[in-house]
Amino acid sequence: MAEVVLENICKTYGNNFHAIDQLNLSVEDGEFLILVGPSGCGKSTALRMIAGLEDVTSGSLRIGGIDVVDMPPKDRDIAMVFQSYALYPHMTVFENIAFSMRLAGKPKAERKKRVDEIAKTLQLTSLLDSKPANLSGGQRQRVAMGRAMVREPAAFLMDEPLSNLDAKLRVQMRAEITSLQKQLGVTTIYVTHDQIEAMTMGDRVAVLKGGVLQQVDTPKRLYESPVNAFVAGFIGSPSMNLFEATLKGDELISGAFAIRLQDAAFVRRPGLRSYAGRKVVFGIRPEHLYDSSLESGRKYQTIPAKVTSIEELGSEHIVHLNIDAVRVDSGDPDAVQDFGLASNAVAKFEPISTVHAGSEIRLAVDDTKLHFFDPETHLAI
Amino acid sequence: MTRQKRSHHKLKRAVAPYLYLSPSLLIIGLLMLLPMATVIAYSFQNSAVLRRDPSFAGLKHYQAIFDDPVFWASLWHTLYFTCMSVVFHMTIGMVFALMLNSDRINPRLRNVLRVLYILPWLFTAVIIAVIWRLLLEPNGVVNSILMQIGIIGSKVEWFSSPQTALHAVTFANIWAGYPLFMVSLLAGLQGIPKDFYEAADIDGAKAYQKLIFITIPQLMPIIISISLLDFIWTMQVFPLIWITTGGGPIYSTEVLSTYTYKLAFSSYNLSQASASAVVILLISLGLTLFYIRYQKAR
Repeated sequence: MAEVVLENICKTYGNNFHAIDQLNLSVEDGEFLILVGPSGCGKSTALRMIAGLEDVTSGSLRIGGIDVVDMPPKDRDIAMVFQSYALYPHMTVFENIAFSMRLAGKPKAERKKRVDEIAKTLQLTSLLDSKPANLSGGQRQRVAMGRAMVREPAAFLMDEPLSNLDAKLRVQMRAEITSLQKQLGVTTIYVTHDQIEAMTMGDRVAVLKGGVLQQVDTPKRLYESPVNAFVAGFIGSPSMNLFEATLKGDELISGAFAIRLQDAAFVRRPGLRSYAGRKVVFGIRPEHLYDSSLESGRKYQTIPAKVTSIEELGSEHIVHLNIDAVRVDSGDPDAVQDFGLASNAVAKFEPISTVHAGSEIRLAVDDTKLHFFDPETHLAI
Repeated sequence: MTRQKRSHHKLKRAVAPYLYLSPSLLIIGLLMLLPMATVIAYSFQNSAVLRRDPSFAGLKHYQAIFDDPVFWASLWHTLYFTCMSVVFHMTIGMVFALMLNSDRINPRLRNVLRVLYILPWLFTAVIIAVIWRLLLEPNGVVNSILMQIGIIGSKVEWFSSPQTALHAVTFANIWAGYPLFMVSLLAGLQGIPKDFYEAADIDGAKAYQKLIFITIPQLMPIIISISLLDFIWTMQVFPLIWITTGGGPIYSTEVLSTYTYKLAFSSYNLSQASASAVVILLISLGLTLFYIRYQKAR
């Protein structure tokens, strides 16, 4: 087990493309850190640099206090789980797990003992003689984990290991990996583009965009206090609604509606006062918008909205709405504008809500949950 | 749809595949199966082709070729020629494919080498035979170079000496045939996921271990398929040997194809030639069945 420290890490490709720019990150001993971001943000490149599969252009990288920048992957004392699992199809599960021990020339009896232990932990004992082709996605994933565990590394590196699984299995494997990591206590760096994985699995989450670290924090803090509009939009599902408005006195004015802000909003964000009379970006998560006709929404102020479509999920309704405000792009390249221009806001309503597509409603807004960002820099106010 | 219409549609669907197959089946039947059956029939006849009413000879012609020491020499030469060719085709093809697939070689140089290495494949057997006859003649380039660097003291008659002729003709065939392996293995190498090597790098595999534990097992289906096909094709090679040595000197490069040809068109013993051809057919058939079974097993 070891601490992994990245200092001013840069990765520039031949065409002067900066994949990673000045990345500073410190992963504590035994910590589960998630690297998350949209496609092409450099998260996999960062992981591959830690593994030694990509050269570091500049900066320092230490694993367990040792500078590993010029070390080959095998000497870094790490193990990696690949997105494709990289299981050798011609080898059995046993041979796949024991591969690194075989390369190291470990005796057969020792290999068997260690693989048996791991197979027991991962519930793979009955599959040791099977080939990867005969395993299910989840079993293959477990074999890949076993292959990483057999080395007893200082750190685990995982590159989107659940992305090839179906949604149900992903939920199950998420829990399995998390509990296994807690059980083993090995420092783990886990790359994903799925913010649900990021929020549910890691001790801390590092959000990357365009090769630049945006924020590294606990999932709760990322959700509650995003440092900029990108993190605000990226973390949470569905994404936070971001709109432009003008701050006049203690009111946010946008088109035909106004939201009155309480004093507490200005106390929490002293900088907000300086935006008086100016444009500001405000954000509200879908779960903080309510159907005003229901009990849960009665205590909040309301704004007019038109329902464009509803996704009934059983436990909740995802309601796509149109409100009289200009939507702000969070900068997430993977974000999809819902239903073209028909809707510009998303809300999560209770399943007892009776709103229907096409209806004009009063949308209740929990103004204590509003987020504010500078319209130019998109930094949190 | 009425019942009549439905049964008509069913019949059309059942017959259609056979209609598509029929032209090729007809051609194969006329140009392959019929001649094959005729040759098998000839091998059991006395004075086949030469007489209008040949008598039944039983296994006489088979007995005759099995008693002929030249047949056994031909069989041995065929096996040597074929085995050496296949082994070296595969070895050279693998080495070149690994080189062409390596990131360490400059991409431009790689493209040049790719063209250079594939050149032998572009030549027909006749041109290859002529090239190697010129290169290996007593006053040719090969002798000159080998004498210059001191490997041989005097000029060697590579194709005319019973000691060297079989090796020389095998060497020419190896040179002509490795590109098939090279191209096939290169395609296979490019299909091996990069992750396998990266995972092995992290696990501490050395270059030779990656070759043994990943590359070769991953290429095994290609290696077996191409080796079997090469074995079948090389066993039947005729023009290269016929043009370079004609099976000589003193039968030292006689292979089953030249032996059969000579029986048929030098001695005009078509019955015995047919028996010899049937022996070649049976060996090839055995290998083909093995190949088909392997393909099915995959």
